[in-house]
Amino acid sequence: MKTFHRWAQPLLLASLGLVAAETPLAFDRYHTPQEIQAAMKTLAAAHPGRTALHLIAKSPGGGEITVLEIGPDIGRKARQAPAVLVVANLEGVLPLTSEGALFLAQAILKDPSKSQHLTWYILPTTNPDAAWRYFRQPLGSSERNAQPWNEDMDDRVDEDGPEDLDGNGVITGMRVKDPAGEWIVAEGDKRLLRKANPVKGEKGMFKLYPEALDKDSDGQYGEDPAGGVNPAINFPHLWKPFTATGGRWAGSTPETFGILQFVAAHPEIAMSFSFDATNLCLQPPAGGRQGTFDPNAIRIPEDTAKRFGADPTRTYSMKEIMDMARPMAPPGMEMTEAMVASFLGLGAIVNPLEADLKHYKELSDKFKEFLKASKLDGKRLEPAQPKDGSFSLWSYYHLGIPTFSMDLWTLPEVKDEKEKSRITAEGLEAMTSETFLALGEPKITAFLKEVGAPETIKASFLMEGVKAGRMNPKQMAGMLKSLPKPPAQEPLTVDPRAKALLAWSDKELQAKGFAEWKAFKHPQLGEVEIGGAMPYADTTPPPAMIKPLLEGQVPWVFTLAAKLPRLKILKSEVKAKGSGVYALDLWVENTGYLPVPTAMGRKNLPVPPAILLLGGKGVEFLQGRSRTPINAVEGGSSVKLQWLVRVSPGSNLDAKLESPTAWGDAATINFAMGESK
Amino acid sequence: MKMSILSILGLALAGLTFHAEAQVSAKTAKTPFVTTGPITLPLHFDHYYTYEQVGEALKALHAAYPKLTTLESVGKSEEGRDIWAMTVNNPATGAPSTKPGVYVDGNIHGNEIQAGEVCLGLLNRLLTLYGQNEQITKLVDRNVYYVVPVVNVDGRFHFLADASTSSSQRSIRIPVDDDRDGLLDEDGPDDLDGDGNICRLRRKDPFGVWKTDPEDPRLMVRIKPGEVGEWTLLGDEGIDNDGDGKINEDAEGYVDGNRNWGFNWMPPYVQSGAGAYPFQAKGLKALATFLVERPNILVVYAFHNNGGMFLRGPSTKLGEPMNARDVAVYDVLGKHAEKIVPGYRYLVSWKDLYATNGDFVDFTDNVVASYGFVGELFQSESESYRAPAKPGAAAPPPPAEGGFMGRNPDQERERILFNDKVVQGDLYRPWKPFKHPQLGEIEIGGWVKMSSRLPHPFMLNDLVYRNVSAVLFAASQTPEIKLEVLSVEKAGPELHRIRVRLSNPNAIPSMTHTAVQHQIHPKDTLKVEGTGLKVVAGGPIAMNPLEEITYKPHKPEIQFLQVPGYGKVEYSFLVSGKGKAHITYQSLKAGRAAVSAELK
Repeated sequence: MKTFHRWAQPLLLASLGLVAAETPLAFDRYHTPQEIQAAMKTLAAAHPGRTALHLIAKSPGGGEITVLEIGPDIGRKARQAPAVLVVANLEGVLPLTSEGALFLAQAILKDPSKSQHLTWYILPTTNPDAAWRYFRQPLGSSERNAQPWNEDMDDRVDEDGPEDLDGNGVITGMRVKDPAGEWIVAEGDKRLLRKANPVKGEKGMFKLYPEALDKDSDGQYGEDPAGGVNPAINFPHLWKPFTATGGRWAGSTPETFGILQFVAAHPEIAMSFSFDATNLCLQPPAGGRQGTFDPNAIRIPEDTAKRFGADPTRTYSMKEIMDMARPMAPPGMEMTEAMVASFLGLGAIVNPLEADLKHYKELSDKFKEFLKASKLDGKRLEPAQPKDGSFSLWSYYHLGIPTFSMDLWTLPEVKDEKEKSRITAEGLEAMTSETFLALGEPKITAFLKEVGAPETIKASFLMEGVKAGRMNPKQMAGMLKSLPKPPAQEPLTVDPRAKALLAWSDKELQAKGFAEWKAFKHPQLGEVEIGGAMPYADTTPPPAMIKPLLEGQVPWVFTLAAKLPRLKILKSEVKAKGSGVYALDLWVENTGYLPVPTAMGRKNLPVPPAILLLGGKGVEFLQGRSRTPINAVEGGSSVKLQWLVRVSPGSNLDAKLESPTAWGDAATINFAMGESK
Repeated sequence: MKMSILSILGLALAGLTFHAEAQVSAKTAKTPFVTTGPITLPLHFDHYYTYEQVGEALKALHAAYPKLTTLESVGKSEEGRDIWAMTVNNPATGAPSTKPGVYVDGNIHGNEIQAGEVCLGLLNRLLTLYGQNEQITKLVDRNVYYVVPVVNVDGRFHFLADASTSSSQRSIRIPVDDDRDGLLDEDGPDDLDGDGNICRLRRKDPFGVWKTDPEDPRLMVRIKPGEVGEWTLLGDEGIDNDGDGKINEDAEGYVDGNRNWGFNWMPPYVQSGAGAYPFQAKGLKALATFLVERPNILVVYAFHNNGGMFLRGPSTKLGEPMNARDVAVYDVLGKHAEKIVPGYRYLVSWKDLYATNGDFVDFTDNVVASYGFVGELFQSESESYRAPAKPGAAAPPPPAEGGFMGRNPDQERERILFNDKVVQGDLYRPWKPFKHPQLGEIEIGGWVKMSSRLPHPFMLNDLVYRNVSAVLFAASQTPEIKLEVLSVEKAGPELHRIRVRLSNPNAIPSMTHTAVQHQIHPKDTLKVEGTGLKVVAGGPIAMNPLEEITYKPHKPEIQFLQVPGYGKVEYSFLVSGKGKAHITYQSLKAGRAAVSAELK
């Protein structure tokens, strides 16, 4: 097979750095990491007053991780504008996502209003070592960066990786007839394999391997490939130790650490986007993790409970615990929730908070309408959820900022022969009894099977119960959620992704998305067949699709950025109390849709507060102070601040509202008339 | 730090008071217990070393023992100070990487300064007694030592140079807006009376909950319900610098050097003092690189103050429990350490003290793959003023309650007598009236900076000496692998069976069991090779020698293994051909050994 599923120009262009300054990128092909670096430099050079480049890290393979800053605060010491952070292709295997980030940068620069009051930090290439693989011969796909890592723990490093044995320029897989094999040819499509089901008396026929030799003669094939760490799962939230590619600690790899460092140095970052394999614009962050910290149900260990005068057998809310703990603080010390949580060893919050999910759901509904208008709303495979240790989980859980992601493209869904119920436990919860009954028995039966309900629970029984008013869908949903999860079963059917790929390949790629199984004489395994899904075929559409996909989706980023919280001084009221004493009430309004900060941000306090500064000649504060932190304002609502001051009648006070993430405002308050402004 | 405070609440609260910092007063009072004299060898420990003097002491040791030592800067701190590391290695017995590494550091919390002296004491003992004392000579010849006396160099500098409490200057110098008012580190303690100490403030107040201790007018005890109070405590010496109605609520930092390591790191809302992200502290990041580049490190000691404890991991209950076979190794080291340093207890970090995330020893246990201890130096009980217990006397009464910060008032009374009678008032400032600009008429007094967590200099040498011995004991237990050919038998024409034994007389195995369990690094290798020879089969001999040998199915000429502590492993190889078989053992942490066997 001499055709590759790959669309890239020869590397010559890149090596010459030929990205013309005046010509905007056409997005009709994929760009190498080097070309992307060159393109960023070109963009920056063409817009000197509005752009800056920040080199934040070098990958183990020597690739540069550069932030393209576009905004009004270039060269300023004190930043005025909040910022949106956009990272792309941390996995390194999704070239389309890098194009998305470049497309966004170009769109921002084309329309100066987009960066007039908002800073953008854009990182199109974050895992250059892996991203290069798409442009190299032979074509192979791996998230690993170039950090050497001894996967098989032998006496050599990176000595036995997959390779192109049959010389077709692509690294795919091998299947080998083996009596101990678990796989058989799937029904319907000879190219596909599925696991044999021994319960049905089926016997496996093939063993599967990567396309590889056993170069270190240890009986394993391709088990110690080049490289090591996947930066996309090296972030601190829910980072897992001792995994194959997660790194030795959170932030251990320079790509990730560079981002951690950059973000900490930029408290104005108010929102983040990741172009990756997930889609938080479409599908809100998932909950349901087993966690140790539920802020509404905290159990106090027995020995501590005694000192708090608390009951160790019940649970408390954080607020109740704070009320108990505060009086116990020694003089001069303020007890915070973080201190108490740390002391009680409550661990991390691992599920999204309801108040944030409300926004995610509303925005997801709007995004679906947007996709419809872009004609990109075809049935597609479900996006993945962010992985443990991912950028997005870190951004939402640790930074506490609105966090979104887009996968930009995935395979269209193939209609399953068996009708799926399309019901979820959450959907059930919101259903009326009538809607539920209208689903009909076959659908409800299918649903019960999907959620792993015991066979004793029959659809007919539930329907009768609902009819008789003995239960409602909400109770049912609660009951189903409380059921123990069925043990994860190996799928005995074909992977829907593989099926979707084949359908896509046959329809759109002239069947080039899948390498037909072809006999090959393997020096160690003997007769084998080499073939399988082409790398990138399921994530990387043909170049002609790049532009329409980006045009139809990336502008949603602007819609979301427009939802950022924006704090303003709504109004102030002055009431004269006599003898130069005035009561001053001042309202700070959030005119944006999103709250400042998110509910998660209020829990873990990483977002700096907004500050209202009140100053003027000869003012004396009787109640309140000149510096008032504002920790939270819901979207579209306001908070009231109150002071009692003494000023000489007729004078003015300056009110200045400062917020790194929600702009700011200023007002003059006049005490002449004793009236509001 | 890990501290010894009786009440659990006290722990929580005390953890919060360590923010305190003094504004550098214009005239910095001379710090007691620090000498200005020249550094002489052998180093002596009847005084404390300033940050600069630690550097001078290291340079003096290096100048005197250039062959045995290398001195390097691991990296620079937030304020640009060098973090010094000294390596002790005898090149005549091999390069550092070929020997079990013993890593020792101290003073990761800026105020816990005697940890630095313990590290200097270790270097001093190893170098000045090398060639003089047989045990020390052996310990130098077969191990390599990496010693970083002061990790939080900025903290040590400020603790000694500035006015301070015994607990402030703990933080890494990364500003944090503790009071969330948009300003950084703007309201730390202030040395109001200019004596170089941050003491306590109190105010006469009949509604206060404290009264003068009837046994000693300088101390206070909590009133009983219904009693009239006498004093209200107002916290540490300071003023409301930022006008927010609170005193000392945003002191320097606080990023805790021992909560900012990358393994098991948790954000600040879970772990107070964690920093914004793992390894935000650049000195710690440099130190992590230093450690990872020395994978032969097998023993780690990190010294802190106080309480008298040898703590092993894990530091958090959220992770996995310690591998049971490693616990057995720790038990040997810990139980000996308890006897070497009387009064100190061998404990489990999270269970017996409290849980921490982003802890240094968790990092070394799980990334460097070593046996790590935290040594919590100094026990305030050692400040005694007490008649010897009469033989047959009744057991002492249980500790009384009601003392300041949950302390035992009886012990406070004893300590203040120790202060009076043994150290002539060095450690305590009697209460003195002071006109506070914001609080009005108040009093300042209490324990001084160099008290409470540090031994008085006259006790420093003893503390250093015994704790160094605890480290030396652990160093003596690093593996000493012996490789021997047990037998060579003819097993057929052109076929021999070679039986090989690897044994280790010491407590510490050739790699940790945790490393084996989690594949943190490759195992040791045992290789058989030779011209004209082919290893047909090879595998470990079971404990029961009658059991069948499980031959390794692939590449039998190289076996991957761990040599246990106090034990052995044996291998059997079937080798075809004739000639000399070279048998080589190679370990990441336990060195190398080679033997050969003639196959005739």
